Amino acid sequence: MKRRDFLKGLVSTSYVVLSGASVLAPLNALAAAGAKDDDVWLTTGSHFGAFKMKRKNGVIDQVIPFDSDKYPSDMINGVKGLVYNPSRVRYPMVRLDFLLNGFESNTSQRGDFRFVRVTWDKALHLFKDSLDEVQTKYGPSGLHAGQTGWRATGQLHSCTSHMQRAVGMHGNFVKKIGDYSTGAGQTILPYILGSTEVYAQGTSWSLILEESDTIVLWSNDPYKNLQVGWNAETHESYAYLAQLKEKVKQGKIRVISIDPVVTKTQEYLGCEQLYVNPQTDVPLMLGIAHEMVTKNLHDTKFIEGYSLGFDQFLPYLMGESDGVPKTPEWASKICGVSPEVIRDLAKVMTKGRTQMMMGWCIQRQQHGEQPYWMGAVLATMIGQIGLPGGGISYGHHYSGIGVPSSGAAAPGAFPRNLDEGQKPIFDSNDFKGASSTIPVARWIDSILEPGKIIDSNGSKVTFPDIKMMVFSGNNPWNHHQDRNRMKQAFMKLKCVVSIDMNWTATCRFSDIVLPACTTFERNDIDIYGSYANRGLLSMQKMVEPLYESLSDFEIFTRFAAILGKEKEYTRGMTEKDWLVMLYNDCKAANAGKFDMPLFEEFWKAGYVYFGEGKPWTRHADFRNDPEINPLGTPSGLIEIFSRKIAQYNYDDCPGHPTWMEKAERSHGGPGSKKFPVWMQSCHPDKRLHSQMCESQEFRETYTVKGREPVYISLADAKERGIKSGDIVRVFNDRGQLLAGAVVSNNFPQSIIRIQEGAWYGPVGPNGSKEGGAEIGAICSYGDPNTLTLDIGTSKLAQACSAYTCLVDFEKYRGKVPEVSSFSGPIQVNV
Amino acid sequence: MNVSDMNDSAVNQARAMVYRLLSSLFAKEIDHQILHELTGEQAQAFLAQLASEPAFKQDIDTLISVLNTLKTDKALLELAADYCGLFLVGSKHSASPYASLYLNGSDHETPLFGEQHQQMLQFLKQSKLQVQTSFPEPADHLAVILAYVEHLCLNSDKTTQLNFIESNLNNWLGNFAAKVIECDSGQFYCALARLTKNWVASDLDDLKSES
Repeated sequence: MKRRDFLKGLVSTSYVVLSGASVLAPLNALAAAGAKDDDVWLTTGSHFGAFKMKRKNGVIDQVIPFDSDKYPSDMINGVKGLVYNPSRVRYPMVRLDFLLNGFESNTSQRGDFRFVRVTWDKALHLFKDSLDEVQTKYGPSGLHAGQTGWRATGQLHSCTSHMQRAVGMHGNFVKKIGDYSTGAGQTILPYILGSTEVYAQGTSWSLILEESDTIVLWSNDPYKNLQVGWNAETHESYAYLAQLKEKVKQGKIRVISIDPVVTKTQEYLGCEQLYVNPQTDVPLMLGIAHEMVTKNLHDTKFIEGYSLGFDQFLPYLMGESDGVPKTPEWASKICGVSPEVIRDLAKVMTKGRTQMMMGWCIQRQQHGEQPYWMGAVLATMIGQIGLPGGGISYGHHYSGIGVPSSGAAAPGAFPRNLDEGQKPIFDSNDFKGASSTIPVARWIDSILEPGKIIDSNGSKVTFPDIKMMVFSGNNPWNHHQDRNRMKQAFMKLKCVVSIDMNWTATCRFSDIVLPACTTFERNDIDIYGSYANRGLLSMQKMVEPLYESLSDFEIFTRFAAILGKEKEYTRGMTEKDWLVMLYNDCKAANAGKFDMPLFEEFWKAGYVYFGEGKPWTRHADFRNDPEINPLGTPSGLIEIFSRKIAQYNYDDCPGHPTWMEKAERSHGGPGSKKFPVWMQSCHPDKRLHSQMCESQEFRETYTVKGREPVYISLADAKERGIKSGDIVRVFNDRGQLLAGAVVSNNFPQSIIRIQEGAWYGPVGPNGSKEGGAEIGAICSYGDPNTLTLDIGTSKLAQACSAYTCLVDFEKYRGKVPEVSSFSGPIQVNV
Repeated sequence: MNVSDMNDSAVNQARAMVYRLLSSLFAKEIDHQILHELTGEQAQAFLAQLASEPAFKQDIDTLISVLNTLKTDKALLELAADYCGLFLVGSKHSASPYASLYLNGSDHETPLFGEQHQQMLQFLKQSKLQVQTSFPEPADHLAVILAYVEHLCLNSDKTTQLNFIESNLNNWLGNFAAKVIECDSGQFYCALARLTKNWVASDLDDLKSES
């Protein structure tokens, strides 16, 4: 009984130790009765598709595909893991040293340092004070709030719009032009074909299936990439791919996958592969073109009637201008395809109807403009542009392009810009001689070399001296190249703000981190099928925002209130008001053409369908009458030679498609003696870029010993004593990472694949969890952008060149560090 | 009420108070008000009495000595950063205070708001309780579980208490405390975690010997 005495002694001391409230409270009546709307199925959507979710006991219990989705992506199995992820950003947080010292904080350990929780009010005031400071001290050129990305779906809560409208109400800032996915393509193609092409609706699959004799998938893996869409993806393209598979089997359509590796699409279709050395598609194309001219296979009539500049290109092709005829033999030595096969390709592509389908990977390399331009030239020489099942497409692997559009008007969205007449508090537009818009992938250059003048798409860009960055729903510590350069750049920033739902590497390298809720914790509406526009989806809130997270609408409404601009920001409308307005505006726009029920009925049903569209052929109108329907090029015709580009006088992007050697290239190219292996970092099969990587249970369906897979050829594996399941160190002079080996027949020697979107998880020397912010730290999970080259594609697009990347690799024999990518900021002993 | 009941009642109130104190310290960072109360006369006497038990002495001494160093805002912020790094972010490299992360195998990071959260909600509901809306955490958060034991101390029999503590707290508390000790860059939360573990162990011993 001695112990009881001891406890009684406690009683005698005091009954009140802490007066604060307990974390428990009496059950209120509503909760006691149980939520009325529990055990219900609600409709929602995401980049991964539309689905239904069942809520049980207040949490998301089950996720099943939407009834009409016949080809759902298994990525929806990762959704719950996103919402209930242990690495959710739970509360507003501030890096401690920033809280103490503001713009004078020690930035050398950013990414590797301590955070503290603060209230929303404190966090938003700190955000506002930082914006005040940057505008006062540096002006708008000191602030970059234009680095934006894939966001989550939803027309109202789109995080980019909210952040830019709210920050825009405070002051002006630097913005981006272009994107990482298609930077080179979307810059060059307007000169050649009159539009970006990469984001344009393409010829309908049904016509391609009917009319094409040959489909050339050029570095293109639609079966992998069509799983995700910019809006809720319908996955209707897969029905066409299934028909194509059948036609391939029956020998009715020949599909040739020109690619260094066996793609998922090739495996699915059971089609042919034509291996080409990495980064040498242009020589292969030139070889084909040379053969077409030599054998007179090209369509001179089409070239004359619909294009401009073949005459200026021909001397280069035939070697009259540079003494190097681009013969199949010449091409073969570079691209690794035999002269006979090149000759045969020229024949096959000009016989019958040929649809070229370009992927995006080959324009994410140095001189990435060239393969797209030369592809257009080949298609022009074939002469089938504007015919169903012929010509060239640059987007059939993206967001359901090729599924006919319903023709309905899509709903609007929450505005990204200020309303007419609204003015920011800091209204200066004095960028101090620097550019207010910079190429998307050149922001790190800008931070590191402010004031430097570069060429960009016919203009000069002067890099602004960026001191502060704001990211919302965007993770550049995934998609930008060369982590060590990024670390150097981030040390120069005075303030970094991130708004996100889980602790991305970008959050970890930030000073102020604000918790946004997921798509499933708010109400919204979305277009069902970005290009098909099959209908509208209601995105019904499944659960209340977890922890202290808030919707983007709520975050920036509160922020605007601090600016004294709440009403300007929301136009005096609530979330519900906005949804009803966006819906009713859409209903009005479609009146008489597409019946839409009242909002309440739509919301209850979960969707409204617009029906199927009619098959359509890209560029058919141009082909029918190029004078009445000219392309958007300067001449209105296809520009094989671009006078405009030639006038820029760029050494790395002359006036016609040209083969230029790369800074580094495998298979005998520059740098291949030191680092013999080409690393491709394509879009992932099981993620949308870096979205979904944090969803652990789903991630474990593809990782190797908890690491991102690195796909390795049998020959390379044998040479290095590696087997599937081994941990491998991949390295070059720019960085190093650990990944899990998957030895595969699909990959030839000297080529490896690590899919982009693998979350960056640096660890210090000897795998210690400290020191991850140091230059040279190893990535414990396998982010390929630890290794990639951070240069522009050319003076034209200045786009990212992630595919120009040589590495080497070895079996890792050191102490294997824990993966640090998914753990939030790492506490460091100080 | 006989003498024995009175004794029991006093003991249970004392036990409840200890659980309440531990729950509060895991629920949020030490702010000025908590610091003021903890360094006040009543709390100091309470802690001194608790420290008279040798198993708790060293850790309570540590807690008191750290509390006495918190003279500036910066010192409080440094301790708040310790709290944040341990309990508010991530999981693997920290000591997230959720039962589910310790009960489902060490390598697997179970999504939160899962089975353990639901179980705790059931317990709370049976006792006509819920988690405060101002504490937006899963119900298997250590602070919730400790607060629920506080409630049980005052409102349930010993067998109920024993069963609950054994199957919902003591089965993961050791692993949790070890993780705190591994990850804490300061001394306060190591000491608090160790004290909690030792307190629960000794309380369980008492409950077992008495039931």
